[in-house]
Amino acid sequence: MPDDAPTGEYLELTGGRVHLFRGGSGEPVLFLHAAGGAGAWLEFHGQLAGAGFDVIAPDHPGFAMSDDFPLVEAMDDLVYHYLDVLDALGLERVHVVGASFGGWIAAELAVAASHRLRSLTLLSAAGLRLPEHPVPDIFLMPPPRLLETLFHDPPPVPAAEPGATPDIDTVLAAYRDTTALARICWTPYLNNPKLERRLHRISAPTLVVAPSDDRLIPVAHAQRYVALIPGARFAEVADCGHAMYFERPAEFARVVASFLHTAQSALSGANQ
Amino acid sequence: MKFSFFHLMPYPYLPDDFDTRYDSSALTYPNANFDPKLGASLYSRYLDELEYADQLGFDGVAVNEHHQSAYGLMPSPNLMAAALTRRTSQARIMVLGNAIGIRGNPLRVAEEIAMLDLMSGGRVDSGFVRGIGWEYFAHSINPTKSRSRFDEAHDLIVKAWTSEEMFSWYGANYEYRYVNIWPRPVQSPHPPVYIPGAGSTETMKFCALHRYTYMSVYAPTPIVRRWFDGYRQAASDLGYVADPEKIAFSVPVYVADTDAQAHAEARPALEWLYHRGLKQTPQMVTPPGYMSPGSLRGVLMSGMRGFAGASYEDLLAAGQAVVGSPSSVAARLRSLYAELGGFGQLIGLFAIGPSTHEQVARSTELFATEVMPELRPLGVAEDAPPT
Repeated sequence: MPDDAPTGEYLELTGGRVHLFRGGSGEPVLFLHAAGGAGAWLEFHGQLAGAGFDVIAPDHPGFAMSDDFPLVEAMDDLVYHYLDVLDALGLERVHVVGASFGGWIAAELAVAASHRLRSLTLLSAAGLRLPEHPVPDIFLMPPPRLLETLFHDPPPVPAAEPGATPDIDTVLAAYRDTTALARICWTPYLNNPKLERRLHRISAPTLVVAPSDDRLIPVAHAQRYVALIPGARFAEVADCGHAMYFERPAEFARVVASFLHTAQSALSGANQ
Repeated sequence: MKFSFFHLMPYPYLPDDFDTRYDSSALTYPNANFDPKLGASLYSRYLDELEYADQLGFDGVAVNEHHQSAYGLMPSPNLMAAALTRRTSQARIMVLGNAIGIRGNPLRVAEEIAMLDLMSGGRVDSGFVRGIGWEYFAHSINPTKSRSRFDEAHDLIVKAWTSEEMFSWYGANYEYRYVNIWPRPVQSPHPPVYIPGAGSTETMKFCALHRYTYMSVYAPTPIVRRWFDGYRQAASDLGYVADPEKIAFSVPVYVADTDAQAHAEARPALEWLYHRGLKQTPQMVTPPGYMSPGSLRGVLMSGMRGFAGASYEDLLAAGQAVVGSPSSVAARLRSLYAELGGFGQLIGLFAIGPSTHEQVARSTELFATEVMPELRPLGVAEDAPPT
């Protein structure tokens, strides 16, 4: 990991500043974080970078160290936002990897601008409306239930010190992240009813990954993505809940890196 | 001092295992627990109580809006107000208020209030509220848009009431090509507006700017004092002295013939209100984006806590309920008047939780005949306390 120590950078866009971590070298990989996981360079990122990729991990608008971007208020705005990010980075084509909420953004980006993607990796992506396989309401869950929902093997809830008051800045930062998420996905809840009928537009090589024990986004969502994205492949990571890159970072990094290597060689073959 | 009788119309029949089994009386509390036959008789009883307050000489009778909750059974306050227009004759009919933050079509609110104004002969007061946290879940309205929707709906409604020319409206949340409401309200320029405040400085300034009535929600006295002072300061910043009548203190009130009887009867009622009726999870209270960062910081720093830990004695001491014989209630309200720096309207919640109709009627009657005359001289402009 020290070899791939990331740098924290800011991109200046018209609507504000985007914070991102960037580490490793190789073909560029745009990593789009889930509702949790902004503002941090995690073990997963380090391992992916270590596998030979230039990993670029921005904070979404309103998350962690990125500015609010108040005009980014719906998924179509986020898609244009990430096209702006790619332009500002000077990257014509990238591998896009997205997890959960970030996976939804990745799928929408691929629908809108498949030509900007070398490949697409969806890690238990949100975004589909499957009323028969509903996604529980994360906004209504008390923290212990949220942990039970996100993890196959939930970590113990940290015991609060008696009489301790939560640090106000920490509470406010978490509330800001949740607000940024809700701005995009309160209703329709974590889905775009039109996404399904557009998935056929994705021409990039696609891998859909699901954890074996996803209690938030039922595996039917991953299966629907596989069925509707031309040529998409499916992989499962065992003994893991929805908090994929927190619970099994090494396995997820391995599965993703292995697919990206394949996509890389397939592309270089096609280009010759 | 003006006095109004405010009704929440609670559904008090919670099951014995409510406290351990359910985390709220709202949103997710199954409506299998609602008995429509009991509900129908409650409506009849509650309307009787509001009508009785009119007969007793209250200056106003007040209703409000809540959704998917045993706490309050009025998803449409305008329907209740419509019923009251025909069965009351003196009192103002106060809708406190329409939850314009969660309404899909705010023009409909402008139309309904205008109708009520005509039907009541110009007796309607129009409160506007954002809708409380759980209602953004209940009606699937994005809470991050709450403030923006509220502000825009307010501006649209007031313009729709007052404009004598058809206009078009293009806003962040709403677009109307033809705004031209029939009927227009009878009060000029429009029905008086009431806004509840819970500490937001934006709301204080907004009320002071428009000279709207600023009303408190249930909170400990020192906190309500800060809100009222904030409103008075906002008026002063605009170059005028706030009329006390534009400051409304709202509080549950229970009066009985003796202190002992009052406390014996009020204790279970208030415990119902604060511990069951208002039982909510933090997620329901503050959905994402519902509060601005500044307001949330203010709330966290003020140390304001939920009601769950407040005992009956705590609630009385903090001025979150006023209970006793007529003379005790009058004395306590006098002291709260002083502690709050004055107010010109008292919005009393007399029908509290599981109180019986007989209890509510007696409490209302004692208040009207023995407490109101005592306090009537307070809170008029000439004795306004210095700010």
